[in-house]
Amino acid sequence: MGEILNISLIWSAVRLSTPLVLAALGGMFAERAGVINIALEGMMLAGAFTAAAVTYTTGSPWIGLTAGVAAGLAIAWVHAVASIRYRADQVVTGTAINILMIGVPGFLSGALFLSSGSTPQIPKEHLVPWTPIVMAFAAVPISWYVLYRTPFGLRLRAVGENPEAADAAGIRVAAVRYIGVLLSGAFAALGGAYLSIGQSSLFTRNMTSGRGFIALAALIFGKWRPVQTMFACLFFGFTEAITIRMQGVVKLPSGEDIPVQFIQMVPYLLTIVVLAGFIGHSRPPRALGRPYQKER
Amino acid sequence: MKWSKALLCLAPAVLTATACGQQSYASDDRSKPRVGIVFDIGGKDDRSFNAAAWNGVRCAETGKWPDGKDCGRPGFGITLRDVEPGTPVNIEPGMRAFAERKYDLIIGIGFAQAPIIETVARDYPDIHFAIVDGVSDLPNVASLVFKEHEGSYLVGILSAMTTKTNTLGFIGGMDIGLIHRFAKGFEQGAKSVNPNIRVIENYVGVTDAAWNNPGKGKELALSQIAKGADVIFPAAGNSGLGAFDAVEDMGRDASGRATHFVIGVDSNMNMLKPGFVLTSMLKRVDNAVYQITRDVVNKQFKPGLHVFGLESDGVGYAIDENNKDLLSPEAIRAAEEAKKKIIAGEIKVTDAMFQ
Repeated sequence: MGEILNISLIWSAVRLSTPLVLAALGGMFAERAGVINIALEGMMLAGAFTAAAVTYTTGSPWIGLTAGVAAGLAIAWVHAVASIRYRADQVVTGTAINILMIGVPGFLSGALFLSSGSTPQIPKEHLVPWTPIVMAFAAVPISWYVLYRTPFGLRLRAVGENPEAADAAGIRVAAVRYIGVLLSGAFAALGGAYLSIGQSSLFTRNMTSGRGFIALAALIFGKWRPVQTMFACLFFGFTEAITIRMQGVVKLPSGEDIPVQFIQMVPYLLTIVVLAGFIGHSRPPRALGRPYQKER
Repeated sequence: MKWSKALLCLAPAVLTATACGQQSYASDDRSKPRVGIVFDIGGKDDRSFNAAAWNGVRCAETGKWPDGKDCGRPGFGITLRDVEPGTPVNIEPGMRAFAERKYDLIIGIGFAQAPIIETVARDYPDIHFAIVDGVSDLPNVASLVFKEHEGSYLVGILSAMTTKTNTLGFIGGMDIGLIHRFAKGFEQGAKSVNPNIRVIENYVGVTDAAWNNPGKGKELALSQIAKGADVIFPAAGNSGLGAFDAVEDMGRDASGRATHFVIGVDSNMNMLKPGFVLTSMLKRVDNAVYQITRDVVNKQFKPGLHVFGLESDGVGYAIDENNKDLLSPEAIRAAEEAKKKIIAGEIKVTDAMFQ
């Protein structure tokens, strides 16, 4: 057991949770405002690519992080314009962004670095292995405070629950929703940037491999609340860290290795069990996915 | 906000316009042999398997490597086009696009394309196909396969002669027969030096996303290091690059020698992190695709199995100025001796895919 449960497991879990925490917090700001954000994956990819490309070019991870967040904002803005102003189906817009982001980074990378599969590797001294982790976990209490203790948080929740009433109370529904979606882009992009210039040292095609969707699951799992969502992300990170350590160590009673496929199934199996059995009813914001049209 | 609407409409237009900026198939010079290559999901810049294939076709086209250096063999002035499928569903359309335009040779890279190339090759019996890492017995398909287990055996010996902890790590992309070949050959080679050596074997995932997850690759490498591994051999595409970051994070000892090492795979990766890359297990996909292109140009295409092993330099290990000080002369001697014995048939390396 000593090979599985040790201090390196904790750090591994924290590193694996960090991109999830950032993306899930992002998802929370959009969805609490009533806009489904299935595009977290695409926003993460935008952030991951831009951060890696800019850090490699400028040699400064801080400029890279800023540029990554800017890219996330740009993608989020597209999502916001389509789903808030033009009242497009939010799931369709989000899916379109995800598909677009499978191709666009490779295309740009090919144009910039003559290497469409991945960006060049960034030297170790230009990486930021710790800052995004600190930012992610510091953002949790800050998000809680903003959401529950500030007028902006109250407005954000109001437009996600009952936009008609919020509108009647004089809140500018569209503006608040824009801010929610833009925040989600910034957070998700930061999570993606951590993948490319924190945890790894380059961007590779589709490197998020589904983390945006896991973050979305964690958000539902955490009932759209910041602290619970963070714990849900830690849970996913922890189970992944454990499965990494279980491979080839835990054996069947017969002495044979447990098939890798089975071990890698464990986090998802646990998710289903926990979602179905333990957390009770998870209620989404009432106006989630519903475009708001001002009555005339 | 009229401008926002305009921008929204403009974005896709710009993207398609730039994508169409490349030459179309219509501009192909039909007097020259035309070769189309469809890459694996990793894409042609994975610095590894696909990159080796790209090197080979570029060499056949121009006589130069993609970086402009002379590749030491003549180019044939072929017309070359490539497809990088972003997702597995794009492989077949890419292949058919070449076939419909009656290309002379279509090369598919990676085991996952074997069933696809069979379907397409059946529909176009007059066109030559080649599949790398896959096997097909159609009369118009050449199967280019490698004895990865033999090359892995040699780097296993080099690792076993280098480790101080008697613990090695192996990181595979997907848990599949082809990757088991690397794993078993590596383990067998290491145990031929020291039967008590421990090889920790991990896999990144169970879907093709496993080849593009460097974050997870790094975590796997760090967990192997925590268990004592000091030489790690990843065969996991881009995910393996995470293991390079992991050994670099472990740093160097007082004498300036790295404490942990990684082994490159498929292409020579010694220069990626000089000092931390013990050697690279070479899989000369470049030689294989170069030869099959040459055969098509000379109208000597032969279908069936083309096996590339130690005897034909189809697999091997890389020593250059980046790693010559990392390997002891005894280690190199042991590997060279084993190489001779494998070629002579005195050592049988287990082939985990066809055993």
